[in-house]
Amino acid sequence: MMNRRTFAAAAAGLLATPALAQQFNWRQQDGRTVTLLLNNHPWSQAMREMANDFTAATGIRTRIEIFNEEQFRARLTTLMQGRSPEVDVFMSLPSREGAVFKRAGWYTDLAPMIADARLTAPDFNYDDFGAGMRQQATLDGLVATLPINQEGPLFYWRKDIFARCNIPEPRFLEDIPEAAARLRACDAAQGVWAARGLRGAVNYGMSGFVFNMGGSYATADGKPGLCQPATIRGIEMYANLLKDFGPAGALNHTFTQVIELLGQGRIAMTHESSNEFANIVRFPGRAQDLGVKVLPPGRESGISRPLVIGWGLAVSAHSRQKEAAWMFLQWATSNAVQTRLVQNGVAPPRASVFQGPAFNAWANELPIRRAWAEALVEIGRTGTGVYQSPTDRVPEARDIIGNAMQQIVLGRASARDAVCAADPDLARLQ
Amino acid sequence: MSLALPAGPASRRRASASYRWMVAPALIFAAGMIVLPFLWAMWLSLHETMLGGEPRFAGLDNYRRLVADREFWNGFRLTMLLWLLSLALQLVAGTWLGLLLARLDAARGLIRTALISPFMLPPVVIGMMAIVILDPGLGVANWLLAQLGLGGLLFLADPETVILTVALIDTWQWTPFVALIVLGGYLSLPRDVFEAAEIDGAGSFQRLTRITLPLLAPTLVTAAVLRSVDLLRFFDVIYITTQGGPGNASTTLNILAYRRGFEFFEFGYAAALMVTLSAIVFGCVLAFSRLRRAVAW
Repeated sequence: MMNRRTFAAAAAGLLATPALAQQFNWRQQDGRTVTLLLNNHPWSQAMREMANDFTAATGIRTRIEIFNEEQFRARLTTLMQGRSPEVDVFMSLPSREGAVFKRAGWYTDLAPMIADARLTAPDFNYDDFGAGMRQQATLDGLVATLPINQEGPLFYWRKDIFARCNIPEPRFLEDIPEAAARLRACDAAQGVWAARGLRGAVNYGMSGFVFNMGGSYATADGKPGLCQPATIRGIEMYANLLKDFGPAGALNHTFTQVIELLGQGRIAMTHESSNEFANIVRFPGRAQDLGVKVLPPGRESGISRPLVIGWGLAVSAHSRQKEAAWMFLQWATSNAVQTRLVQNGVAPPRASVFQGPAFNAWANELPIRRAWAEALVEIGRTGTGVYQSPTDRVPEARDIIGNAMQQIVLGRASARDAVCAADPDLARLQ
Repeated sequence: MSLALPAGPASRRRASASYRWMVAPALIFAAGMIVLPFLWAMWLSLHETMLGGEPRFAGLDNYRRLVADREFWNGFRLTMLLWLLSLALQLVAGTWLGLLLARLDAARGLIRTALISPFMLPPVVIGMMAIVILDPGLGVANWLLAQLGLGGLLFLADPETVILTVALIDTWQWTPFVALIVLGGYLSLPRDVFEAAEIDGAGSFQRLTRITLPLLAPTLVTAAVLRSVDLLRFFDVIYITTQGGPGNASTTLNILAYRRGFEFFEFGYAAALMVTLSAIVFGCVLAFSRLRRAVAW
């Protein structure tokens, strides 16, 4: 069994190969201090522990600020709007905010640094990042970020409860509400379902339902298209699961509450982030009794179109030490560091790490890890990072769609009325 | 030994001039930290400012948009509702608690210290505590209700009860503050009035309604002003617990402005919302100032 120490030693060995040491000067920015502004995320938590290794390797010290996502965005906006050089490196979700941040001039184009042999280690190999990840991080030719993970919502279910109630594993999307009803009938004391209900967070969990039902957020001519039959059915199914089988207070829930409910064994199914895998299996018993896979395809549509997104690291356009910041980026996204990060449940965006012996050894230790890794391969292959109607104003669009779903759960409008009423609001954002 | 003579008009003018210079640093600080940002917000509110674009002068467009915006009126209604509800609860409970404390002889210092604790807590702690206690599924509040044989409540998750719940959270935190103000005011009241009323045979209810409360009125108005300013800009606990939800049921003007500014990057519109809210706060303070003069004795 490969333990954490063996893993770290193997990774450190990779970084310290003699060829690398001779060909590239990792200490060229020795003595500098770079400030990192990070979202609270398993990657960031792991980085806080690993930052000393970076300092030891490069002589560059780090100052790390980690905030919950809302506070992180507020602080980033304040600093960047003020053109502050206080932040050198920040986390960013290009699929969400890339277009707006690029227009604001917040990103440093990383392409020239990647191409510069003085600044970039010869074994860095940018092409090792998956093509989809590189595409998401590149905005009109500007390389805005280096990917640090890949993630997407996955379907988690309690195999033991399903077996006890003699309910088969859902093979199609339409099987989920049926399974929910049978679970309720089998054991009324057992919670059935939980998912994100908080307005701005809804789309992440809901979009798989929309796509797999054959729906889309856009019409063929690029207009907002919520008011299409398959889209309405997908949103309605998600809303009804929350309304009929979800926990009380679901509309204020985001991943933190959902993970807690799943981890504590209070629910039998959810559709939640792959990123939370490590946190979920830390709860006693969950590594043994949970199943995890990509959200099942629609029975009628035959479509499986999951979400896949990836956080990235950007160098601030206002940084006064871009080269030191770049040193951090390439170290943090190197094969060696990503190999170590797998231990923290961070899915690596580098193909060499995903297919490497260390990751495979780790994944093969438990069936659920293998299932998780296979699901990640699948969402990387078939997933999309676009899950709102066409617009640059992504957060606002997702908020409007989330609000429509909430109206259904609250019983304030029928699915059709709530969803169709959102289209004109979404059209204003185009 | 010489006797000090009263200062003449010229020396008084000189002294007055030197005092003005001594006030100057405070004035400069206030201008830099309060007036300039406010003027900047006003300037911003007259421009259309999207992230990444140059500000474009838009005149009163943001204010026209605001008047036609359903979300603004929803936010305005909720802001007023939360303010009035919380203020009423805190003034009633705070007055009762303050008068109770005035009669308390034993462990007065200890109790006052304990009362200060809630408003010493950072709002983020209050918000997180509320999430943990009031979550309908995971929280301890519904567990306690179940132990008492009562049905569970949705608290922050129900559009019908979310504002009341937020008002109760704020009341829990700030009632002791009002109580301490009332206690201070009550202890400074002249005792002979109460003694005279007692000699004249006034009952305790009469003493409360005819003497205590009228004499405490200026103190209560002061407490109301302090709490009103705070309540009208109430943000943190709501954002932490509900982010303005469920739906828009707790999207007060502050939450709306924050979301418009920091989530949707509409800085001009967010500034217009904040300038409008500032005008409401200013109007409220002015109204209370007049009221205070009216109840002064």
